[in-house]
Amino acid sequence: MVAADAGVIEMSNSSRKNNRSVSATLAAATCALLGTGVPAPVDAQEEPQWDFNTSLLYYGEDGDRVQDASLKSIIRRLFSDDRSVSIGFTVDALTGATPSGAIRQDTAQTFTRPSGNSAYSVPAGDLPLDDTFRDTRVALTANWQQPAGEKGLLSLGMSTSKEYDYFHLGLNANYAHDFNNRNTTLSAGIAMARDSIEAVGGAPTPLSPMLDVGDVSNRSGDQDKDVMDVVLGVSQVISRDLVMQVNYSYSFADGYLNNPYKVLSLVDGETGDTLPRTTPLPPDGGPSGQFLFENRPDERTQHSLYTQAKYNMDGKVLDLSYRYMTDDWEIDSHTVDVRYRWPIGSRSYLEPHVRFYTQSEAEFYRLSLDSSQDLPAFASSDYRLGNFDAVTAGLKYGWKTRNGNDMSLRVEWYTQSGTVPGDQLIGNQAKRDNYPDLNALIVQFSYRFSR
Amino acid sequence: MSGTGSAGRELEVVATEHGWAGRFRAMGSPCEVLLENGNRNQASSTIAAVAAEAWRIEDKFSRYRKGNIVDQINTANGAAVSVDDETADLLDFAMTLHSLSGGRFDITSGVLREVWTFDGSDRVPDAASVEAVLPRVGWSRVRWERPDLILAPRMEIDLGGIGKEYAVDRCIAMVRGSKCAPGLVNFGGDLAVSGPPTRRRAWKVAVEGVLPDAADHLIDLRQGAVATSGDARRFLVRDGFRYSHILDPVSGWPISNAPASVTVAADTCTQAGMTSTLAMLEGELAEEFLEQEGILFWCRR
Repeated sequence: MVAADAGVIEMSNSSRKNNRSVSATLAAATCALLGTGVPAPVDAQEEPQWDFNTSLLYYGEDGDRVQDASLKSIIRRLFSDDRSVSIGFTVDALTGATPSGAIRQDTAQTFTRPSGNSAYSVPAGDLPLDDTFRDTRVALTANWQQPAGEKGLLSLGMSTSKEYDYFHLGLNANYAHDFNNRNTTLSAGIAMARDSIEAVGGAPTPLSPMLDVGDVSNRSGDQDKDVMDVVLGVSQVISRDLVMQVNYSYSFADGYLNNPYKVLSLVDGETGDTLPRTTPLPPDGGPSGQFLFENRPDERTQHSLYTQAKYNMDGKVLDLSYRYMTDDWEIDSHTVDVRYRWPIGSRSYLEPHVRFYTQSEAEFYRLSLDSSQDLPAFASSDYRLGNFDAVTAGLKYGWKTRNGNDMSLRVEWYTQSGTVPGDQLIGNQAKRDNYPDLNALIVQFSYRFSR
Repeated sequence: MSGTGSAGRELEVVATEHGWAGRFRAMGSPCEVLLENGNRNQASSTIAAVAAEAWRIEDKFSRYRKGNIVDQINTANGAAVSVDDETADLLDFAMTLHSLSGGRFDITSGVLREVWTFDGSDRVPDAASVEAVLPRVGWSRVRWERPDLILAPRMEIDLGGIGKEYAVDRCIAMVRGSKCAPGLVNFGGDLAVSGPPTRRRAWKVAVEGVLPDAADHLIDLRQGAVATSGDARRFLVRDGFRYSHILDPVSGWPISNAPASVTVAADTCTQAGMTSTLAMLEGELAEEFLEQEGILFWCRR
């Protein structure tokens, strides 16, 4: 036995260089001592008391369109017995220009700014962009979570945000219940929000014309809307490596759903060109043509079905999801999202991400309004209500610092391209590029630490 | 393994919010068994069986008991002692640890306590008296040919460094096989669970803050075991130097810069306890050792 012992010591000297084999040797020796099979692997984690999650996001659309710099911070205090409270704080600084909804023309165009205080002009052939878009948004969220009984988890939250022309106040509640040895979780949530739209210069009368600078006779005061969301979900552990989730959500919005800054060009029924103004341009300026403020229905009901599968393949995690959304504005959309988390060593990972999105246009989406026909009750040329496809593709790199904090850097490209239905194109419109395509860059840095 | 005699071996079983709890003392520590299922009779008999197993192990391997196998070995005065299978398995395990630790985990190091008493005082022994004990220390001086063990006269073995964790693992296997599982077995802070609890997300394990001003760690344990080595109350201070109670059997002196305590989570309590002990023996490099192992640990300095 002495000789054998010496052999073991020699082995241990080399094993000390590679400590992995200390664990392996100890595990084998323990199995022999206890006379049992291989034990189930340990599942333990320190219960953190504070969790700080901060991210800095840059979102930039090309062509001088929207730029957003956003700082978001969530502080979570965890108590024993799984109770927790979290407070979130977000500041967004938005600048840039957005499409006004008017169509391109072969001549220069002028528009009255939303404030009604001045006018701006757009060169011939250019997409009309309203460059007065500039805002700071501050948002606050608060959430309380606690177990309800042995298998339930209840969370209650509120949210509020303030922009120059918008105020949001919301309340939400969610209950999740575990069944079936915690392999199945059913959840139900409801969220209610009251939003006030405090449009710059006042909300314009729907389908009324854009007026000359200084004329605010078609403007009225603040508007509001109520939104209710209900989500029912089930998540199921299928096997040790596969978890699936299905959610149904219902959303009902009621009230002022217009974008108070969006207009449509009123066009000639033959040429498709914007009708010129009928009176001489006043000295302070005004619109060069005839533009009508949009009008949307004052209700919107959406249904969506979301399904997700997370599959763990030896530490590599594939996350696949699909969402179908339909609403009574006749927008149908499909979203497919794929993420693949690929560990690099024990402390970092790479996560490629790709997302495909496609939607049909709203029934009242119009590129322009045909002056030779009766005005429709509802009309909007907002490109976000149009028929478009979008692709997001990017890469995230995450790593754990030596003291156990998580950092990640995400870079993504977003591209959106749409088409205007052929039967909406009148005369000269057919030869122009009508849908404002969009390309954006997204860069996000996140830092998380617990203590 | 210390402990009083069989007098004072009392067992308490109470109903709790999440099932049943049993409490008793064994191996010098308060012991606790938590069970989530079963009726009072089933819980009582499971807890009684666990306590009986803990006391059996204590009686068999405590170096303070007269007449048990450890006492027979320690008093054999150079004669061979033939041991039973369970004792042989523990000796094999101790031998593996001795080699894994480069000789620093040594069940024969107990005699060093004749010169070292860690009571917070400044009574650091002189080099000569430490030197005098060293010839009686060292597994390499032991002849172990299963099932026969031969110890030189005045050498001693002490299985106290393994026994409690071994007992926890033996007992959690009994809980796992009972009608009362899932459950938790906790012997003086070294503990294991039979599996995830059904009535909560995880077992909540508080690791005592061993330093007076240190807050408790709360660990969510769903599977596996947690064990702690070290005791911040056992040390000596002389000339501003703090001597930890972890002795290096090779030199006979305390391991320098050992953490005050190391808590480790692992698949079994035995693995957790031995890993925390091996980390303590690494001294200053304890955290580095544990990090390289990729092990969940909480180190106090």
